[in-house]
Amino acid sequence: MIAPEVMNEWYPVAMAAQICAGQRRVTQLLGQPITVHVQDGVIVVTGQAGPLHVTEAFGHVWACPGTPAHPLFPIPEALETGRRLVDVGVVRVKCSPLRAVENFLDIAHFPFVHTDVLGAEPHTEVNRYEVQIREDSDEVWATKVTFYQPQAAKSAEGGIVTQYMYRVPAPTAAVLYKTCPARPDAWDVIGIFVQPLSEELCDVWPWMALYDDATPQAELIAFQQMIFLQDRSILENQIPRLLPLDPGMEIPTQADLTSIAYRRWLKKRGLTYGAQMVAA
Amino acid sequence: MTQRWTATGLSQDLPKAVAMAGHWQGHDLAVWRSASGRLQAWNDRCPHRGMRLSHGFVRGETLACIYHGWVYGADGGCKHIPAHPALTPPATIRVAAFACVEQDGVIWVAPAETVGAPVALRGLQPLRSISLTCDVVAVRLAEPALSGDDVLRGLVQIGGQACEVCLLVQHGASGLTLHALCAVGADRIAASRWLEDLRRRAERKGAA
Repeated sequence: MIAPEVMNEWYPVAMAAQICAGQRRVTQLLGQPITVHVQDGVIVVTGQAGPLHVTEAFGHVWACPGTPAHPLFPIPEALETGRRLVDVGVVRVKCSPLRAVENFLDIAHFPFVHTDVLGAEPHTEVNRYEVQIREDSDEVWATKVTFYQPQAAKSAEGGIVTQYMYRVPAPTAAVLYKTCPARPDAWDVIGIFVQPLSEELCDVWPWMALYDDATPQAELIAFQQMIFLQDRSILENQIPRLLPLDPGMEIPTQADLTSIAYRRWLKKRGLTYGAQMVAA
Repeated sequence: MTQRWTATGLSQDLPKAVAMAGHWQGHDLAVWRSASGRLQAWNDRCPHRGMRLSHGFVRGETLACIYHGWVYGADGGCKHIPAHPALTPPATIRVAAFACVEQDGVIWVAPAETVGAPVALRGLQPLRSISLTCDVVAVRLAEPALSGDDVLRGLVQIGGQACEVCLLVQHGASGLTLHALCAVGADRIAASRWLEDLRRRAERKGAA
C-alpha cells in the first residue's frame, strides 16, 4: 500500500517528443505497469486500474496515479525567448529515485566524481550557502551557492567560479540555476526529472533550458550524458539503496544543508517512497 | 569451534595503493593496501553518504571515498573532509575495521575481536581465485578427491600427476569464490586449467 501523499504527486514517465512521434512506452510507475502512448491525438497514460492524470510540460509527459494534490510545478524560464530547450534523454539507475535527486543537489562531489569538468582538487571547499523551505510554494531552495569549476558548461572556456541555485519543487524532480558562461546576467537552467520505476530503480530524464546558440545539440546532450553516467557509478554503489531519512544512519556536514532540508521536507510531507525510515 | 577467518583474496591480486571489495559472511568489506604495504579491511561504507569505500582511492597511508573525498587514516578515523578543509573532523566519524592478516599468500578477514591465526597452509603456493555459480556440495561431487567445507583439500590429477590442492571457500550472494593454492613446484598453468575444468564440472553438477 503506497501512501496517498505519494500517489497524489506528479511523476515524469516519458519524453513528450518520442510519444508524439508515435512511440508507445511500456514502463513502470511506483512499481505498477503503465503504458504511455497517443490515442486520438492525445497523450494518455494507462495503468492496471485505468487512465492516470496526465500533463505535458518541459518536454516530458507527467502522470499522477492518484488524485493530484496540486498542479505540476512551473518552471517560468522554460517560456523565456532565446532559450534552447534540450531533452537529454534517459539514464536508468539502480538506486532510489530520492538518492538520484539528492545527488543532483550535491556540489561537494564535483572534484571527485566529475574531475576536471565540474570540479578539481585543490578547489574542494564548499562555502556556506543558504537553504530554506519556501512556505508559499512549499519548495526546498538553496541559494548563494558558489563553486570553482574547470569547465562549468560545454560553452565555458577555462575555469570560473560558478554560482548556483537549487530548487526541489516535487519529490522526484529538481531544478538548478547556474552561471551562464555566454550571458553573465542570466542563469542556465538544468532539471532532472526522475521517474520512480520502483523504490530501488529509476529512469532519470535530464532537461536543459540554456542560452547557447553555438554548441551543436549532440554535443550538449553528450556533455550532460557524460555527467550523469559519472553520477550513476556512485548512485549504484551507495548502501543502503534506499535514502535513509532517520538521522544517525549517515553523517552530514555543513556542505550537505540542501540534502538535510530535502530529507526533512520528504519526511514532513510523508513522501517516503524510496526512503528508509528505520536504521537497518 | 567454527573457523571465523575467511579468505577474501590472494596477496598477489592486491598491489600497493589499491583498494578492492572483500566479504566476510555477508558483510561487504573494503580491503586495501597502503603505499607502504600495510593491509586493512574495513566496513565497505563511507559513514557520510553510504558510498562503497572499495571504490575509493589510496593516497599514502590513507583511503579516501570516491564520492566526496573524505580521507580515512590507518585507524579508520576520518582525517580530512575536502568540503571543509579547515575543519578537524570529529573523532566519532569512523569506519569499523575488521581483523585482516596475510599468511601463505592469502588475505584473511575476521571480526575485529577475533583471536588466533587462520589455518596454516604449508607446502602450498597461491594459484588464483575463481567464482562459481554453485555450492560446495557440487564441487565435491565434481571432484570426489576433495574433502572439507570451508577448506577443500585433496590430492588430484593435474597433467597426469598427483598434485595437492587447497581451495579456500568464500560464500557470496550468487555463489562461491574459491581461492586456490597448489603444491609448491606444481605446473601452475596446468593447475589453472584444472581449476577452470573443475568449475565447468561443478556448475553442471550444481545445475543438475
